[in-house]
Amino acid sequence: MLKIFQDFLKRLWPEFYRHRTNVHLTSFYTFTNYRYLWFISISVLAATALAPICIATLIYYQLIETSVDSDLNHRTKQLTVAARSAVTFFMEERLNALTFTVNENGYEQLTSNTRLAEILKNLKLGFGGVTDLSVLDADGNQVAYAGPFNLEGKNYKNQSWFEQSLKQTNYISEVFTGYRDVPHIIITVRSAKPDGSSFILRATLDTERLMQTLSSYKTGDYADIFLVNHEGTLQTPSIHYGSIFTPTNLIFPAGSDESEVMEIILDGKSIISGHSSISRDLTSTPFTLMVLKEKAGMMKFWQDMSFKFNWIMGASVIVILIVITFASTFMVNKLYRADKAKAETMMQMEQSQQLASIGQLAAGVAHEINNPLAVINQTAGYMKDLFSFKDQARNDDEIVEYIDSILDAVDRCGTITRQLLGFVRQFDVKIKKVNLQKLISQVLSFHKKEAEYRRIHVTVSIPESFPELETDSSKFQQVLVNLINNAFQAVEEGNCLDIMASQLSPDTIELVIHDTGCGIPEENLKKIHEPFFSTKKNGSGTGLGLSITYGLVKKLGGRISVQSTEGVGTSFTIHLPVKINEGRKA
Amino acid sequence: MQHTDILIIDDEIKFADMLAKRIELRGRSNAVCYDGRSALEWVKTHAHGITLILLDLRLPDLYGTEVLVGIKEINPAIPVIILTGHGTEKDRLECERLGAYQFIHKPPKIDELMRIFEHIREKSEC
Repeated sequence: MLKIFQDFLKRLWPEFYRHRTNVHLTSFYTFTNYRYLWFISISVLAATALAPICIATLIYYQLIETSVDSDLNHRTKQLTVAARSAVTFFMEERLNALTFTVNENGYEQLTSNTRLAEILKNLKLGFGGVTDLSVLDADGNQVAYAGPFNLEGKNYKNQSWFEQSLKQTNYISEVFTGYRDVPHIIITVRSAKPDGSSFILRATLDTERLMQTLSSYKTGDYADIFLVNHEGTLQTPSIHYGSIFTPTNLIFPAGSDESEVMEIILDGKSIISGHSSISRDLTSTPFTLMVLKEKAGMMKFWQDMSFKFNWIMGASVIVILIVITFASTFMVNKLYRADKAKAETMMQMEQSQQLASIGQLAAGVAHEINNPLAVINQTAGYMKDLFSFKDQARNDDEIVEYIDSILDAVDRCGTITRQLLGFVRQFDVKIKKVNLQKLISQVLSFHKKEAEYRRIHVTVSIPESFPELETDSSKFQQVLVNLINNAFQAVEEGNCLDIMASQLSPDTIELVIHDTGCGIPEENLKKIHEPFFSTKKNGSGTGLGLSITYGLVKKLGGRISVQSTEGVGTSFTIHLPVKINEGRKA
Repeated sequence: MQHTDILIIDDEIKFADMLAKRIELRGRSNAVCYDGRSALEWVKTHAHGITLILLDLRLPDLYGTEVLVGIKEINPAIPVIILTGHGTEKDRLECERLGAYQFIHKPPKIDELMRIFEHIREKSEC
């Protein structure tokens, strides 16, 4: 599981971050800044993919909010209108009943306590909510009373509601506690005695019935319906503002029939508020109906929805980003690999071009050196002849020896120049069948004594099924001689030299020449194929051995690589075609 | 007409002279030409008095191969050894095709040259 996750991360993380940068190699890259390329690729893809989604989501949110808002306002208004109708009807019904009672009975009958008690009983039966009834004369004296309290003979002249009652045909008071210390509303109807003076029929309504009516309009936990008077004092209890008679800032001009809806902020909460005056055709009441709805509560469903929606959105965005990163990494990796391969090829080309130009130079040098060498050779030869043929020096062996050493040196120079020429000259490939086992044995036979003497352990492992190669045997032999010579020079007493061959595919073989010798320092590894590079002391090496080997392996249609750790050993690995490609004949 | 054992054709004067002296020390008569045209003239006048010719491939006026063809036209029986500092395999094949006796890289070993000369002389005397 962890491995799958690591693999996944590996695919998300681009390769160029993991690779060591070889400055020389990077100079051949087409794109220099892969981090920037990767970043730009992800950014552009992400912007293209996510911008429309984000814009669409924003528009969607705004549309939803607007429509939810208007829906909320509409519903609050409807509720306000309905509740207002109910309260208005509640008041009107009772006022009309009272008016009917006055008109039907007249002053004489109403002042009879028995009759009044009967009317109260009927009113309670018919409408409910009426606590008591009383008849007052124009001076505020209670003439008759029916009800549970003994209030007979009381005078209300100084009460404000009585003054109002005398002025209007009918009157509805605010909620107040009065003598009984219970919240109630007074409804009065003014009429005339037979003698022409006014009298008043008064009914007390308990607020319980009114509150029940209001409560029936509360829908859900987030609605608050209550009444306030024109001074903003609560007339029924409110969830938001508290108990009855609490003063509030809800002050509205009286008399407007219109229901109004607005949005207010209360205790940091957004609230849709509807209000409407309770009024009837003839008399206005002191009440304003308030409907408060908590927006958050009302929008809970929509918010739940949007929460889920946000979750899905978030998950989608993450998936999109992962896919985009994956795709970008994939593409940048492809580009990087192609670029790297190209850079490597160019570096190889540069190397081979260097080899070629140095080779040409070497050829020129070899040409020019050959003639003076021939002159030296002949002159020295002539001197030797003089000593050998003329009598006076015939017996001076020492001088002849010196001249011989000059001639030897010239011979050696001649060998080197021929080697140099061979390095650049193109000979026809002489293709022969080659038995690798035999060829290696031949080459090793030159080192047999040395290996015994220095106790170097040489092993050759070639599988029995190993095919016969069709290749240029002399070039191949030279490759083997060079590499095995090198290995013998690198190893010390008691070390190992392993030669392993294997068939990689029907067309390719691999030959590894491994020694446990001194190894090649890392800084030299890059240079070993360059001509004239030698670490052998006293100029005992020409620096051409490996360079020639490199060229020869290429001519044979193969490739050679080297792995080495200083102090541990060196492996030369050669890959060769089983049959040399005719087209690659050099 | 005086017989000449070995004719040396080479523009590298010191080399040719030294070689000539060494051959002389070994008791063989010789002649030296430093360019192609004079060499051909010399061969024309001594067409039947030369045992062996040593010919360089790079001469100032003519290609060695042209001189070789010229010699073969005058007397195809004279053996010609090509002596070159920088001849390629291709040159060797070309010279063999044109009738060269042998192809030797410079610097030549005097003893080897003399051995070849003796071999040719013995053969021609038979």
